[in-house]
Amino acid sequence: MGVSLNTDLYQTVMQGIDTLQQNENNDLQEMSSGKQFNNLSEDPVAVSQLVLNEAQASNVNQYLQNVTTLQNGLQLADSTLNSVVTALSQAMSLGVEGANGTLSDSDRQAIATQVSGIAAQVLSLANTTYEGNYLFAGTAVTTQPFTQDSTSPSGVTYKGNGSTNSVQIGDGEYIPVNLSGSQVFTPSGSDVFAALQGLVNALQTNGDVAGANTQLQQVFNRFNTQRTFYGATLSRLQSTQDYLTQEQEQLTSAQDQIEGSDMATVISNYDQTETALDATYQAAGLIPHMSLLDYLH
Amino acid sequence: MGTLFGSLSTALSAIQADQTAVQVTTNNIANANTKGYDRQVPLLEESSPVDIDGLLLGSGVTVASVQSMRDNVLNLRLNSETQQQSSLNTYVSGMQQVEAIFNEASGAGLSSAIDGFFSSLQALSANPSDSTLRQSVINAGNTLAEGFNSASSALQQVQSGTDQDVVQTVQQINNLASQIASLNQQITSLQGTSEGPGDLVAQRDEVLNQLSNLVGNATVTASDGSVTVSVAGGAPLVAGDQAFQLTTQADPTTGMNQIYSQGANITSAITGGSLGGDLQVRDQEIPSLQQSLDNLAASLISNVNSANKQGYDLNGDKGKAFFTPFTPSSSGSNQGAASSMSMAITDPSLVAASSDGTVGSSGNLQNFANVQTNAIISGQTADSYYANLVGDIGTSISSASASATAAGLVIQQLQNQQSSVSGVSLDEEAANLMKYQQAYEAAAEVVSAINNLTDFCVQNMGAQASGA
Repeated sequence: MGVSLNTDLYQTVMQGIDTLQQNENNDLQEMSSGKQFNNLSEDPVAVSQLVLNEAQASNVNQYLQNVTTLQNGLQLADSTLNSVVTALSQAMSLGVEGANGTLSDSDRQAIATQVSGIAAQVLSLANTTYEGNYLFAGTAVTTQPFTQDSTSPSGVTYKGNGSTNSVQIGDGEYIPVNLSGSQVFTPSGSDVFAALQGLVNALQTNGDVAGANTQLQQVFNRFNTQRTFYGATLSRLQSTQDYLTQEQEQLTSAQDQIEGSDMATVISNYDQTETALDATYQAAGLIPHMSLLDYLH
Repeated sequence: MGTLFGSLSTALSAIQADQTAVQVTTNNIANANTKGYDRQVPLLEESSPVDIDGLLLGSGVTVASVQSMRDNVLNLRLNSETQQQSSLNTYVSGMQQVEAIFNEASGAGLSSAIDGFFSSLQALSANPSDSTLRQSVINAGNTLAEGFNSASSALQQVQSGTDQDVVQTVQQINNLASQIASLNQQITSLQGTSEGPGDLVAQRDEVLNQLSNLVGNATVTASDGSVTVSVAGGAPLVAGDQAFQLTTQADPTTGMNQIYSQGANITSAITGGSLGGDLQVRDQEIPSLQQSLDNLAASLISNVNSANKQGYDLNGDKGKAFFTPFTPSSSGSNQGAASSMSMAITDPSLVAASSDGTVGSSGNLQNFANVQTNAIISGQTADSYYANLVGDIGTSISSASASATAAGLVIQQLQNQQSSVSGVSLDEEAANLMKYQQAYEAAAEVVSAINNLTDFCVQNMGAQASGA
């Protein structure tokens, strides 16, 4: 029985070279892509995790974008309401001034005109838009919410609706992002425009200016309470943003752990494979010299 | 009493036998690199002794036969491992084409389209009246539908490519079957003759191994030396000198070629070999993936549509179907859902974000978000269903290629064993050559000695006779 070394060695060497070259290719691919695997079959479990991880990451990125969009709108709403507060404070000072019994009719008229101007300013603020949408129209964001209306006692009619909107900022987490204009400016009994109009009327007719001003003060207090909603929502969004940023980092690092390649290991594997391949090539070069036939003369 | 001429004929038989032995050795050396060649050995035998004056004297040597060194059990095992390995390798290479369609590892695949669609809806929730955001929902819906379309058609392409392989492989099988039948005939006719069918049997073994590469088969060797080959658990391929051709015919419904033997469809019974691997990819893996893809598409279509219908569009009208509704052609089957998926609406204002008909409401987008987070298919969310689908593809490939590697190692070992039985070692042949050369020289030396003796006899004894 003869062991046919010649044919076998070639085959064995070829198979060895094949395997080594394949390993080298894989290492090279891993080095150039920075990923541990480039095909599903290299690590099916990891790829499944990757798909879910990416879905989650995509959601978190979107939540973060939503938070930023909302922050811009809410900040504008908050600063608009700040301006309204300033305007109302001015109106109240004017009311105190106008309640002074020593004023002449024309002085009161002048003050009434100033208060009217403030009312117009507040009306304009109440119609503030952000990216083409009215901030205080409920969900009827394309309808100008507050219009002048001489038939209304307050001189203003609300055309928006009473709905509020919620936006998703987390898995199953929705945050209400607005108050309707009727909640902020014209709740019954605390109508900002009615109070301002009341003061104007009292000044013009030399009526109960002090009483109208007290009414305005109450409306102002109520308004101030209402507007804390925006500050509170903004601070909730801030903490949501912090949390989402953290989650985003975690997901990114999880993704790196799943698919990122360990360069040190890959490079040392590559070096080892190359050494083995070199040795195999050299061994293959030696095979043809070994036959007894060479010594037969 | 022995005679000089008796010795001469004994020496001659040695010369003849050694010549034959050298011839066999030369043939071995010549075929050292012939695939499937079985090393041959001259079987030398002592010629029948001759009774001369009550003495039994040897009469030399003859070559009784030239034997091919072959281990039939090894050959059978090698064929069966070859069938398995070839099937696995073909399966792996077919599935690697499928893998490329869903290669989430390299960022290709459907998951980004699914994620992008739900992201676009979430973006809309922050500003539901924004026309740019609405347009991007429409675009993302389109991308999703096209993603399903192209995944489905890519699967179909792989399937029809595999189908072409099937037809070609069947032709090759028929070709090999004819070769085996003709070898059978030659072997049967040489059976029992002094020449022996050794080389032809080796050739047939090689063809049988090629056949095993193509298809799983079973062989039985008959007493006349012919082999009977059957495929698919009993369909005859070769019997004696007759080859039974396999035929292919496209199935009218699926368009896939079915394989017939003697009028019977044997497609589903075929296993092993590259044909077995191709059929597994074509008839099992791809249809099952196509079905999963269809189910996922159908489920997304109906859930997204019902979400859109629950809300109101930008015009304050009740929402309509978002994707073109899918109507199954037969109940219980969603066949075609992925390939036909398309948008029912193109107007961005028709995205029903509002829950009350007002433009600033994004209340209904919660219903869309729920499509992503709810278990809408086989008790899973769309994301995890898809993640499992790609995971399954990867697992099928990696376990098949692991088995193929294992089968490859077994084959390597069997080949080593086989070549230690059947293979030609040039060292051994060289040693044999020297051995036969020396024996030949020795016999020639004997002839020359007898020649001298005969000469001596003729010269001296003849001279004595003439001198007397």
